[in-house]
Order: sequence, then structure tokens, then C-alpha cells
Amino acid sequence: VPSFYRSSNLHVLMQQFAPLGLVTLGQMLVLLVGGIDLSVGANVLLSSVIIADLVQRQHQPLAVAIIAGIAAATAVGVVNGVLTAVIGIEPILATLGTLLLAAGTAKVILASGWIIVDDTFFADLAQHNVVLNLPIMVVLMLVLYALVAFGMRLTPFGRMVYAVGGNPASARLSGLSVTRVKILAFALGGLFAGIAGLLEVAQLGIVSQGDATGMEFRAITAALIGGLSVTAGGIGRVERTLVGALIVGMLANYQTIRGVSPTYQDAVLGGILLLAVVTDRLIRGRPS
Amino acid sequence: VSAFARARYLDVWFLALITVGMVILFAAIQPSWLNDRTLQSIVAQNAGLAVVAMAMTFAIISRHIDLSPGSMLALIGAVIGIVYRDTGSLALALLAGLGAGLLSGVGNGILVAGLGLNAIMVTLAAYIWARGLAVGLTHGDPIVVHGGLPGFMNSTWAGFSATAPIVLAVYLGGWFLLRRTRLGRYTYAMGGDPVGARRAGIDVRLYTTLVFVLMGLMTALASVIAIGQLASAQPYAGGGLELDAIIAVIIGGTRLAGGEGHVGRTALGVAFISILNSGLLNLGLTDAHYQLYKGGVLLSVLSVQILLRRLVAEQLRRRREQELLVDQAAVAA
Repeated sequence: VPSFYRSSNLHVLMQQFAPLGLVTLGQMLVLLVGGIDLSVGANVLLSSVIIADLVQRQHQPLAVAIIAGIAAATAVGVVNGVLTAVIGIEPILATLGTLLLAAGTAKVILASGWIIVDDTFFADLAQHNVVLNLPIMVVLMLVLYALVAFGMRLTPFGRMVYAVGGNPASARLSGLSVTRVKILAFALGGLFAGIAGLLEVAQLGIVSQGDATGMEFRAITAALIGGLSVTAGGIGRVERTLVGALIVGMLANYQTIRGVSPTYQDAVLGGILLLAVVTDRLIRGRPS
Repeated sequence: VSAFARARYLDVWFLALITVGMVILFAAIQPSWLNDRTLQSIVAQNAGLAVVAMAMTFAIISRHIDLSPGSMLALIGAVIGIVYRDTGSLALALLAGLGAGLLSGVGNGILVAGLGLNAIMVTLAAYIWARGLAVGLTHGDPIVVHGGLPGFMNSTWAGFSATAPIVLAVYLGGWFLLRRTRLGRYTYAMGGDPVGARRAGIDVRLYTTLVFVLMGLMTALASVIAIGQLASAQPYAGGGLELDAIIAVIIGGTRLAGGEGHVGRTALGVAFISILNSGLLNLGLTDAHYQLYKGGVLLSVLSVQILLRRLVAEQLRRRREQELLVDQAAVAA
């Protein structure tokens, strides 16, 4: 399929991919500390609804809207962290609860069907190319990946994330605040979901109820393909996560160009995930 | 001992109290909700959830989980619908559905038990591919199924449809399996200490696969119930079923860490979720407010339950310390 290789398609692919890429980055941090976040899809919706509502309906300044949207998503992340790390609810259930809360809030704010966003700032974010035919939003995503990659390698926070995820008991014994690290990881997951919400607004130019539904599962799939583990925290690398997200993004883009219907695209994605998990086991062998 | 036993069930009593409180609250807000048909319709509407949650209890006690029953329900339904449409035989269609359910259970079971893969990953993949396949096979349209199934499933006795005896039988059977058979004992053993279970000579692969087979069979049953009630196989049926089932099991007090739990607790969890859903939907809320209330109630109940459990654990620890002191004093004397 020659059209897949065109540079114009690279532009479209990366544009569609940027929100998923960021959400996967956040999911990676949460998986690394031994959690899982089901609320990210709803959180992306919440952020984009707040941004669109404040800009278009309330006529607030752009900066206020963007900060409010991202702050709300980050707050949901903090709540996730508190529910799991302080109160002790299992992450899968706690984030299911906040999924319902975030999606409900977003839909209450959205009220009627959709909001069309016509501020040129958003169009520029998606269209204006910086380097290599890549728009600003994609560069922003890649910069965040680079920042997290450096953060994980070179800062105490990065080492603490691996320590807490790898062995929470010994991390606690060696004096790390496991609770604080976990809350921070969930909060960053929320922050990246918030920024992804901004990018969704930029890419689509319109916000509606169904946006980003199921994105949590695509992000978890991408992270798992990238080599993260849902059983054990502390395993996984930033650059591999990016590759995992790219594979999921490219699969969707390639199949859309080929005219594969979205339903079979899901069947293929599930098959690829299974294949990845099985191959991983066959190559690395059973854990002892 | 009885005080300890009562303390251990504190979270269950709390859930029961909340459930009764919800009934009173919903009836107070909208008196028409509570009538001589409410129980019957709640049972009929949540029969599939109840059946799947029973099997989910086994999966979670054995320290696994299954995220795929919602999608599998739709896929099994698609198989039943297509076989019925092409052959016109309900018996053949149900047989094919049973086969599909068995196959899904054996497949997930072999991947988890045989290859040692994590159940979340395996069943997350199935959650995605099975839904895709179900929608793809049916081209996104419902397939009409008659041949006496809708008539049977919707036939009523004292207002109860055929789903009521089915759910009752499934829970009695589940209780028997868990408490009185080898499968049940081994399910607790594998969940409590997988390595110890293997060392004790339990065929962990076989019994883990059986747990997933039970899940596949119950999913097939839920699919047949759904088809009977709607007289058609729906490609989007069962959406969110897996999460409601997991909530029912966990909120009932079965621990996600495995080794502990009970189908009786799950029954109460299912009652809680069913009444919450029914009451909220009856208020005529928008989707948005429904999600808000459901999320809020779930998180509050889960939080309080955890605090109660901690309180009980703390109390038990103190009592043991006191007993120890008394014993030591006795020895010293």
C-alpha cells in the first residue's frame, strides 16, 4: 500500500497517534508502580470537554481553559492515587469508580451533543509543522517522552518508581515513601491524560461524548506490547513504551487506509496483543 | 469465637445494610419503583450478571480474573444466531453455543494455566478480539432467534420468569462446587498459595483450566438468557458486564488477592449492584448523572468496607495480644 509510506500519511498518523502516545506514557508510570488506570479514557474526555466548554461557551482566555482542563485531569489522577495508596482500594476498582465520575462530570458539562472548537490556536497545534513534517502536537508528545525517559534514568523519582514497583516492601523498609511515589505516578498519569485531552481537541476540532472511549484499553495494550507487566511493577522502559504505542497507532492507521472495518480492527488488535504476550513468554520462558 | 465470626462478617453486614437502605431510599424518592413486580424484573434483568458473577468468584478466589465474559457473551451469541439462521435448528444452535463457551474457557484456561500467562493480559486480549469478531461476524446487526427459546425464557410463574430458577440453580450449584468438591477446595488452595498447592500435588494446570471452563459455560448460559429475553443475538450485548461482575464479587467481600471468598457473598454483591442499577435507571437520570451516582456510591462503599476490615483486623490483633498476656501470666503463676 504505497499511500501508507507517503510523508503526508506520516503527518496524519502521528497526529492521530499523539493523544494515545501520551496516555500510554501515563499508563506506563502507573503500571511501573504496580497499579493500573482504567480512568484515562474518561479523563481525556473530561479535559477536552472542560477546555472546549471554557473557550467556546464561557469565552474564557485560552490559557485559563487549558490550565483548567489539565488541572481537572491531574486532580482525577491524584484521587486515583489517594484511593489506591492511602485508602487501599484495588487500583482496577478505584479507577473504575473514577472512570464513572470523570465520564459523568464530562457529560454533565457537555450537556448537548458536541462543541465545535474554532479557535485557530488548536488548528495550529495540529497543522503547523515544526520539523520533518511533524506538527507541534507531535513534537510536544515526543518532548514529554524524552523528559520522562531522562527523569526515569537520572532523577531520584525515576529510581524510586522502579524501587516501589519492583518491591514495595523493601522500598518501604529502606525509607522510601511508597504512598507518595504511588500518588505522584497516578497524578502524572492524570496530567498526561489531561494534555492528551488538549491534543484531542486540536486534532478533531470538535468534542463529543464518545471521544476517547476505550482509550484505556488501547493504552494498556500498547504498554503491554511495549514490554510492561500488569502483574509486577518495576519492569519496563520509556522508549519501548513509545514503540508499543506506535505499533498500536500504526496498526489502526494502516488498516484504515486498507479499508478494514473498525470492528475487525479490534479483532486484529486483540490478536496482536495475544501474540505479543505469547511470544514474550516463549522467548523469555516461564517465570520461576 | 462467635464474636470473632461476627466481626469477620462486619463488611457483609454493612453491605446488606446499605442495600436495604438503597431500597428504602429509592422507594421513598419514587414510590412507584417498589411494587409487586420489582423483584421479578430485577432478577430477570440481572440474571446474566448473576450467572457470570458466580463463575467470576471462582476465578478471583483462584487468584485470577476474567475481563472477557462481556465480549465472549456477544461472540457466543453470534455463533448461536448464525447457526440458528443457517440451519433453523435451535438444538443445533444451542449446542454450538455450548461448544463456543467451552472453547473460550479451555482457550483462556490453557493460555493462563498451560503457558503461565497473566490472566489480565490473556483476557484483556480476548475482551478486544472477541468483541471485534462478534460485531464482524454479525456485520453489526442483531440476528433473530426463535424456535421456542424466547417463549421459554419469558414464560412466567408468579411473575418470575424462567431466569429465577436458573439463577437459583446456578448459585446452589456454585455453593456445592466451592464447598463440597475437590474443584472448590483446590480453588481456595491455588489462590491462597499457588506454589504450595503445586507442591501439595494439586494438578494446578487442570484445575485452573477448569475454573476458566466454568466461566466459559456460565458465559454461554448468560448468552442464551440474553438471546431468549430479546428473541435475538445482539453484537453489542454484554458491554460492561465483566466490570459489573468483578464489582459484585469484590464488593461482596471476596478478595482480589485470592484464597478467600464465597458465592454467598457474591450473591449479596449482585443484589447490591442490581438494585443500584435498577433504582438509578428508574429515576430517569441522564447517562451522565447515572455514571456520577454509580461511581460515587461504589467508591464510598468500597472505602468504608476497607476501613471496617482494618478495624476488625486491629481488634483481632489486640485480642490475641491480650490472650497471650493472660497465658503468660498463667504460666508464670
